[in-house]
Amino acid sequence: RPTPRPDVSPLPPGSHILFTQSGKVEFVPLDGHDLKKTEAKTALHLPEKVLIGIAYDCLEKMVYWTDISTPAISKASLHGGEPISLITTDLGSPEGIAVDHLGRNMFWTDSMKDRIEVSSLDGSKRRVLIDTGLVNPRAILTDPTSGYIYWADWNRDSPRIEMAYMDGTNRRILVKDDLGLPNGLTYDPQTSQLCWADAGTHKVECMNPNLGDRRQLMEGLQYPFGMTTDGKNLYYTDWRSLASVFSDLRSGVALKTRGSWVSFHCRCGVFSDPPADHYALGGVVVIDRHAGKEVDEFQPQKQTRLYGITTAHAQCPSGQNYCSVN
Amino acid sequence: DATAGSSSDCQLCPCPAGATCAVVPKTKEVVCTNCPTGTTGKRCELCDDGFFGDPLGEAGPVRTCRACSCNNNIDPNAVGNCNRETGECLKCIYNTAGVFCDRCKEGFYGDARAADVADKCKPCSCSPDGTVNRQTTCFQSTGQCQCLPHVTNRDCSACEPGFYNIQSGEGCERCNCDSIGSTN
Repeated sequence: RPTPRPDVSPLPPGSHILFTQSGKVEFVPLDGHDLKKTEAKTALHLPEKVLIGIAYDCLEKMVYWTDISTPAISKASLHGGEPISLITTDLGSPEGIAVDHLGRNMFWTDSMKDRIEVSSLDGSKRRVLIDTGLVNPRAILTDPTSGYIYWADWNRDSPRIEMAYMDGTNRRILVKDDLGLPNGLTYDPQTSQLCWADAGTHKVECMNPNLGDRRQLMEGLQYPFGMTTDGKNLYYTDWRSLASVFSDLRSGVALKTRGSWVSFHCRCGVFSDPPADHYALGGVVVIDRHAGKEVDEFQPQKQTRLYGITTAHAQCPSGQNYCSVN
Repeated sequence: DATAGSSSDCQLCPCPAGATCAVVPKTKEVVCTNCPTGTTGKRCELCDDGFFGDPLGEAGPVRTCRACSCNNNIDPNAVGNCNRETGECLKCIYNTAGVFCDRCKEGFYGDARAADVADKCKPCSCSPDGTVNRQTTCFQSTGQCQCLPHVTNRDCSACEPGFYNIQSGEGCERCNCDSIGSTN
């Protein structure tokens, strides 16, 4: 069992958690490592869009998101201001997005085009980084100080977590065994911990990518989608609801929904469309990374699916661009 | 604007019952902010992701939001599975295609609506030498590839009895065996 780390310091005041929900970016301030739930509010309201991935640029205080309805990649200032479209062409289903605040680039996954792309933060200098061996890439993140990107692909036949240099070279598989639907992925540069939330195995697992010391942090999660960390806690968006139950009809596992255990018979190999009257609910669940247990949760007023989630640091974490150092 | 002092300062939100609304400061546009469960949009006229319909009946009769209906050929872990208005399926799996993932995609045959995944869509795998124009597509229902003259089998992989040389790519030729020296 990991011991509490004394070196985990509170976030600078003014940090917050951002997540997307049905045409909205929601905002929950952090007080230290606690969610200030009473101060939660909608940061951006784009009622006709379906926002999925979200990332934050700590330098210019801009929020970036993917939108599968247009489809598009856009940004806006958190402190008001109109959304600015950055990428609107040649997109299929852009899902995960990550910002390299040092190199001033953004990376995104596209689960229809089956590729990972990069561009400058203004949308220029766009380039396909990886277009082979991808089936359902979703979460993506950057570690600017080491020059790596990490991503997860929930391909039902061969789910995996991979990494590569920021130019797409030196690609390698980090995890491929005992994965189900690795939807959420996050990295804490301070402790070099890469953690993922799996909606198939219902586990959170972590590892140091350089050591390969994979270990389970928690099990019994409901249906994680996105995940982020503030160094101490993990925060994940959860599709708690019948949607989660339906996805597991295949394996016939018992699932915990809203506090009570419900079991389902195996309908191996057959998916079932959820019935019309059962809408997905959503929430943000907080896990203490060192205690390995759920410590808090937040349910927004509107009950619908939550997607991407990110930590918006009031100040950029210290560290230098890998390229400028090497 | 409650400060203007007239009886029409506050107006009813143009939103379904229970929803709140707000005025966008820049454009003065009124936008619903808390649409009923399953709906979204400026006027709550759209269905949430994963659902389709016309909850306000803007394009015809009211159609309440229903889950994407794609013959079980979509993945519940995917996002954006269908068009929110028409219900057109956008992410068919198991080699299916069509508006409701109701047929096999090009190069595959079988029954896209079969209950068992193994019975759904199988690759045509037409034998290139025996198939017209080396096509890779086949009849949806039977899987029959379009064979060159005197070529047989579903995948056009063999010559009819009494014919040979499928490798020619122009169909099979008659054997021309002498009836006296041949066994049949």
